Amino acid sequence: MKKKLYNSPWSLEFNTAALVLIPAAVGINYLGKLFAGVLKLPLWMDSIGTCLAACLAGPVVGAICGAINNIIYGLTMSPISMVYAFSQAGIGIVVGLMAYYGRMNKIGGAVATGILAGLAAVSISTPLNIAFWGGTTGNLWGDAVYALSLAKDLPVWLASLLDEIVVDLPDKIVTVIIVMGMYRGMPKSLQSLYQSNGKIESLD
Amino acid sequence: MKSISLYEEKNSTLNHLDSGCKMLYMVAAILVPALIGNKWANVAVIILSVFLLAISKVLRKTVPVLSVSGIVILTIVIIQGMFRAGNTTVVLQLGPAAFYKEGLLYSLGIALNVFNILLAICVLIFTTKPSDMVENFIEKGFSPRLGYVFISIFQIIPQMMETMNTITDAQRSRGMETEGSLLVRIKAFLPLISPVVMSSLVDTKERAIALEVRGFNAKTKKTFLNERKVTTTDKIINLLLIAAVLASVAWRVKLWLG
Repeated sequence: MKKKLYNSPWSLEFNTAALVLIPAAVGINYLGKLFAGVLKLPLWMDSIGTCLAACLAGPVVGAICGAINNIIYGLTMSPISMVYAFSQAGIGIVVGLMAYYGRMNKIGGAVATGILAGLAAVSISTPLNIAFWGGTTGNLWGDAVYALSLAKDLPVWLASLLDEIVVDLPDKIVTVIIVMGMYRGMPKSLQSLYQSNGKIESLD
Repeated sequence: MKSISLYEEKNSTLNHLDSGCKMLYMVAAILVPALIGNKWANVAVIILSVFLLAISKVLRKTVPVLSVSGIVILTIVIIQGMFRAGNTTVVLQLGPAAFYKEGLLYSLGIALNVFNILLAICVLIFTTKPSDMVENFIEKGFSPRLGYVFISIFQIIPQMMETMNTITDAQRSRGMETEGSLLVRIKAFLPLISPVVMSSLVDTKERAIALEVRGFNAKTKKTFLNERKVTTTDKIINLLLIAAVLASVAWRVKLWLG
């Protein structure tokens, strides 16, 4: 029989609460994007739910949340966002791991997590951008950087990388800081609800 | 409650077609032009998809979906037309801005590819109920637990949007400003989003209990409420689509060898 991994971040056993967390997280992503649109913020704010789920239930649930999130976007808003399911899954894994190793309790750790999550998203999205869009992201500021870099005779991959960094990194840092605030302020009973693979010790 | 799904019941031919058929069409419509690698193949499939959307009476609904990507395509045409490496032949001179043939052709290729993928997906999602697709996957061995997750999203998001309206009204009545300078708008973000987050997390606890009480984790084989009917027409269309994909794979192999 396979040895059971207690408290491993990679466990594939979820309790029902962790499973139900996924639709809620996708809903939170959706609302974050909606609020950012209503308030005309210059950021996307569309991964708050993914990051929160990753903090609460670990990297695997975070990755599933991210992937499902973009599939649902694809089915309801813009079909092309389905391909970015991979970058959202990457964000979920990074944030989940950082939270598992206790980095999401201080502001410094949160900023580091945001940078790492942003870099994960950048490194997965850039090849997709080049394959589908020839390197642009569709964001005004990012594409201005892209055009500027091409005009300076930089190679396409570098221009596209810069484009994506300008767009993704600030967004992810702000998102993770907001998530840290919510995560720390959450009651303990809610935090422990989604941990499904803890070892049960008996007292006698 | 407003549904977030783009599906609409129009009682059309495609509505009655099995969901597996339409999923296969989407895959084939994306794969075949990619394998053949010719712009005209893209154009042909785009015309086919537009025809299918038209007979399903949902052609008008594709306009907002296409216009979202249309703006991105427009920036691509401008940027690639002006700055792409290898641009040599000027075709259009607008004041200081020069558009080059190579860049414009390259961006035309991207535009055709993107519109083809978009229309193929539109054929599927405008004519198929999301729950039908998920049920189809579950029948083929997809985990029913994850299937529940997918279906429930379509119910949870409209609910959460209603909560969001309530909270926006409540916070406004307490004097929160949602318009003004960037700083004011940033400050408004947290008081709006955090109550929804907390209430939806508390809801998950109750939903988990409700599901477990109803045997959500039972290991027995699940049965279906709606029985799927696969007609002979569905089977023929499936065979034709698979044949088209195989033929284009053969074409590709022949190109490599020859």
